Amino acid sequence: MLTVLLVDDDAEFTEVACTIIEFLGHEVLTAANLEEARDWLTKETFDHILLDFMLPDGSGAHLFDELDKLPKRPRVTLITGHPSVKSIIKGLCGPNIDYLVKPIQREDIEAVLSGKPAEAEPTQAKIVKHFDLLIGESAPMKELYKLIERVSRTSANVMLLGESGVGKEVVAAAIHRASDSEGPYIATNCGAFSKELIGSELFGHEKGAFTGAVGRKEGVFEQAEGGTLFLDEITEMPIDMQPNLLRVLENKVVIRVGGTKTIPVSCRVVSATNRTMEEIAQSKILREDIYFRLAVFPITIPPLRERKEDISLLAQNFIEEFNQDNDTQFTWQESQLDTLHAYDWPGNVRELRHFVHRAAIMSDPGQSNIELPKTIESPFAQKQSTAPALQAGRTIEDVEKELIYATLEKVNGNKTMAAEMLGISTKTLYNRLHAYGDLAKDE
Amino acid sequence: MNEDDFARLSQYVHDARKPLNRISMQAELVKMALNGDVPPEKALNALDKIISSAKDCSDTLSELTSEMGDKTTD
Repeated sequence: MLTVLLVDDDAEFTEVACTIIEFLGHEVLTAANLEEARDWLTKETFDHILLDFMLPDGSGAHLFDELDKLPKRPRVTLITGHPSVKSIIKGLCGPNIDYLVKPIQREDIEAVLSGKPAEAEPTQAKIVKHFDLLIGESAPMKELYKLIERVSRTSANVMLLGESGVGKEVVAAAIHRASDSEGPYIATNCGAFSKELIGSELFGHEKGAFTGAVGRKEGVFEQAEGGTLFLDEITEMPIDMQPNLLRVLENKVVIRVGGTKTIPVSCRVVSATNRTMEEIAQSKILREDIYFRLAVFPITIPPLRERKEDISLLAQNFIEEFNQDNDTQFTWQESQLDTLHAYDWPGNVRELRHFVHRAAIMSDPGQSNIELPKTIESPFAQKQSTAPALQAGRTIEDVEKELIYATLEKVNGNKTMAAEMLGISTKTLYNRLHAYGDLAKDE
Repeated sequence: MNEDDFARLSQYVHDARKPLNRISMQAELVKMALNGDVPPEKALNALDKIISSAKDCSDTLSELTSEMGDKTTD
């Protein structure tokens, strides 16, 4: 139970608010102006003050000095009738003061008294989803939006290139959405089907075409009629299936497996791969003629480390999604966002999203504070950073030294943490660093 | 619109928001009454106040339009 002082000159409002606050299980006293409020402050100790910004004898902010002098400073929530006053108040009294904007609801009062932040409406409004799907205001993303905008107006086939986890499927859906085509958006993963099944998946089959083909099935090309077909991991498609795909792309007709009839199809094909263009060209994973058919308009999606300014926005969005699904009130602290910012995210947006969710799951659901693990770890990160270094011809000592320095760099020189990560004692770590003749510089 | 006009407009908006705030709170009270959290006669009282606040708000807006109307005919 809290003792609350409500300062507002609107008697009708204070009367109802008192009923509600009392119902919420708190004790409440009221004051209609600054003078009455000051009087109460000499007689009683309060846990929380709800303070109108505009009072007959001055601004509620005038009370701050007196509050600072109290032995126990109550929490303060300013009530304002004007949304724009919010930012002024924030600048005036720092982040530790809540504010409510009239008209006020019961949930608002509940939220401030329980110490949980009210609905994160200001931040929620800030995150713009481009094409209802994509988040990011960095220069590379703006460039990407421009490309999507352009290509969506044509019917050209698009190939999306980008590392794992950058959001190729989301971009494909964005292209579909931006193109306002009438047909559906159909997605399929070429790496997910065996050689035998991929033909049936793409082109469909007739009843009895093979053992188990009990009915007739439409392929994804037919399903995506008039819309967009997204072929993920196109480079994983068996090379001997590729001529069949080429024929469809060239002639715009499919023949179902086991069928004879040609069926006309018309859809935009958006394909995706996590290989680079050079890799595709060098290795023989994709036939050249197919490549040119699919990549009429190639788009490279930037990895997250090249658009680090979007990390906060994405983290914000992911935690809001989590809050909504789980009825929690987690919020980020500035320093936590800095930590996320410092990491390279080799698994890109997908890794960030999983990381945020994992951190939220590990945190106390009754609190708003998110508990981040001490270090951000990904098995793929290590593999990537050490992979080029691991070649035959190097000594174990040499590799060990490199690993030690890489680890130290990652934990910002914190030796205890580095030792823990390396699985050695701090003493051993110090001994090694001594041996490298490096400790004098550091200590 | 000059600064004076804007200040006056802000005053009207502030005055109009006051009854809106009352309405919002009284509505919460009605909700509580329907849930059985407060006696039901409180709800009736609150609804009367909502109606009168709605009139107050409307009056303020009428004043605003006539004032701003006067201004433009000046």
